[in-house]
Amino acid sequence: METLGVFRDVESAARAVDGLIRAGFTEAQIDSLTSVPYPDGVLVKTGQRSWFRWLALAGGLAGAVAGFGLAAGTAWLYPVQTGDKPIIAIYPTAIIMFETTMLFTIIAAMVGMFLEMRLPALKKRPYDAAVSDGCIGICLTIHPGGEAVECLPGVRSDECIGEIAALSAGEQRELATDVMKQAGALRIIGEEMS
Amino acid sequence: MSERQLEELREFREFRESEETPKTPGTLQTQKINDDLLSSLRPPTLRWYVLALCLGAVVAWGLAAFTWQMTHGMYVTGKNRPVMWGFYITGFVFWVGLSHSGTMVSSILRLSQANWRRPILRAAEAMTVFCITVAGMFPLIHLGRNWTFFYMIPYPNQRGLWPNFRSALLWDMTAITAYIIGSSLFLYLGLLPDLAVARDRSKGWQHKVYAVLAMGWRGTAHEWSVYRKASTLMAALIIPVAVSVHSIVAWDFAVTVVPGWHSTIFPPYFVIGAILSGVAAVITLMIVIRKAFHLEEYLTPLHFDNMGKLLLVISLLWSYAYFVEVQTTWYAHEPIEWEVFSFMSQRYTPQLLIMLAGNTLLPIFCMCFKRLRRSIGTMLVVSLMVNVAMFIERFLIIVPSLSHKNMPFAWGSYSSSWVEISVNLAALAGFALLFTVFAKFFPIVAVTDVRELEARRAEVSMGRAKVPSIAGEED
Repeated sequence: METLGVFRDVESAARAVDGLIRAGFTEAQIDSLTSVPYPDGVLVKTGQRSWFRWLALAGGLAGAVAGFGLAAGTAWLYPVQTGDKPIIAIYPTAIIMFETTMLFTIIAAMVGMFLEMRLPALKKRPYDAAVSDGCIGICLTIHPGGEAVECLPGVRSDECIGEIAALSAGEQRELATDVMKQAGALRIIGEEMS
Repeated sequence: MSERQLEELREFREFRESEETPKTPGTLQTQKINDDLLSSLRPPTLRWYVLALCLGAVVAWGLAAFTWQMTHGMYVTGKNRPVMWGFYITGFVFWVGLSHSGTMVSSILRLSQANWRRPILRAAEAMTVFCITVAGMFPLIHLGRNWTFFYMIPYPNQRGLWPNFRSALLWDMTAITAYIIGSSLFLYLGLLPDLAVARDRSKGWQHKVYAVLAMGWRGTAHEWSVYRKASTLMAALIIPVAVSVHSIVAWDFAVTVVPGWHSTIFPPYFVIGAILSGVAAVITLMIVIRKAFHLEEYLTPLHFDNMGKLLLVISLLWSYAYFVEVQTTWYAHEPIEWEVFSFMSQRYTPQLLIMLAGNTLLPIFCMCFKRLRRSIGTMLVVSLMVNVAMFIERFLIIVPSLSHKNMPFAWGSYSSSWVEISVNLAALAGFALLFTVFAKFFPIVAVTDVRELEARRAEVSMGRAKVPSIAGEED
């Protein structure tokens, strides 16, 4: 469950982030929605290491194998004897391998990027079209509530929450709404518990 | 303006004057940038339909000519022994060359963090996709028995045939396929945040289409972080693909033993030529887009100045490569090589002079002067001339060499037929039509990139000083 506050400028959005952290929410629960990228830390800290490049690398290796199989493997399976030339020619095989390696790398990079972004979004999430027009959104992931979970490395953002998790989800949302309104939120958009 | 447009404008003004108007750093307000750059997505005007209809008519004429060729055989073209590559392969090399620069220029400028690149990226990337699509048609048209084109696709079949990867045609097919897919993904990647903007500002079926294409993009910090890394990676990946495509096209020629073609300088020479024609085409498109969508505020003389400098450098490089090739032939005076060059310079003197003027004299002279680089009229003439000259250059590489090969008793000549000319004109019209339709449905200037540039220009107060805003982030 997420709650989104829409702000007119960066300053009020940053005030809201500070307020939420002071209220007991953790940095990992807070995300910003902006129309242009801001450096890490201006609004929120992502601090996550990206993994999609490893998928791109794996795609490249798969492409190299596929290219080799396509050019050299099929030449071996369907031999065409041309004069004294070898059945498996290194030069064309290298060209085909290069192209398939690059193609698979590019495709894997794109797929990895979307997977890491968790797009396409399958369920509706809080959003305000004013973000496209330059407003700033501060999105808070609300914990289901009832039990405090210690914030240890590897604990997901919706689980990682300290004392505030002892409050119910509704109470957490009310608290977050108050903090964001005090910071100058134009409006608050909530997502119902599924 | 239609009623709907007036209504939208009224709503926009009300929003701008309201309390909710966001205070975005920058010299231009975010809404204004959105409004200006998405104005091209408004419902088509009568003038747009007329243009699309004219272009469609030329494409239809080209299709009719191609049908005529299929039903009557290849004799309706000007191709004959010994010149079996004519206008179609000229067109293929020319369009591959044009495609080269769009993505390449975009990638290089992105990686070098040249901020002025931002308004021109989209046009350059879209140009690449459409040019390579058009280029990919030519080998198929040139095939002869066009309906057997699928023999090139490797799949197990009853005929027991398998494509021979030692054929340069298969290298072309693989490279072009990789480049079309790579360039399309690169274009889509750049479009992603802009599609979200278009989604937020559209209604009805357009909103649904943009919503699907935007994939639920919200612009979260995490999305931006991954997006920027992916953009940089893709820019780095697409450059070697672009270079390889034109190198492979050059190898179509260089790995043969045809005089005039069998040269080690061909791949870099082709790549340089491709970038030259591509940069010129980007300039031409920038001028057209600027005029058509009234984007004078975004495509400023500074952009033309910088593109002019790029054109100057590439033109100098091309001139050097051409000089090296001719000088080596002349000094070695190898009989058959010299024969080809002599034949070309005598039989095609006007074309040779136009090529040298368009690729060397005109761009080098004009682009040396800031005033001329910033003159839109001059840039239009120079960029168009470069591409006319580049088409001629492709022709002069192909036809003279095939006309005068090693055996004098088999020398011949070539004249293009109406069918080949029609198909080439249809290719040009097809490209223009694709671009026109694209510009109507997608933001032709990168909205997010321009907004980011505006945000970077902003200044904030620090004590008594004004310092640059930190909005925006280096790649």
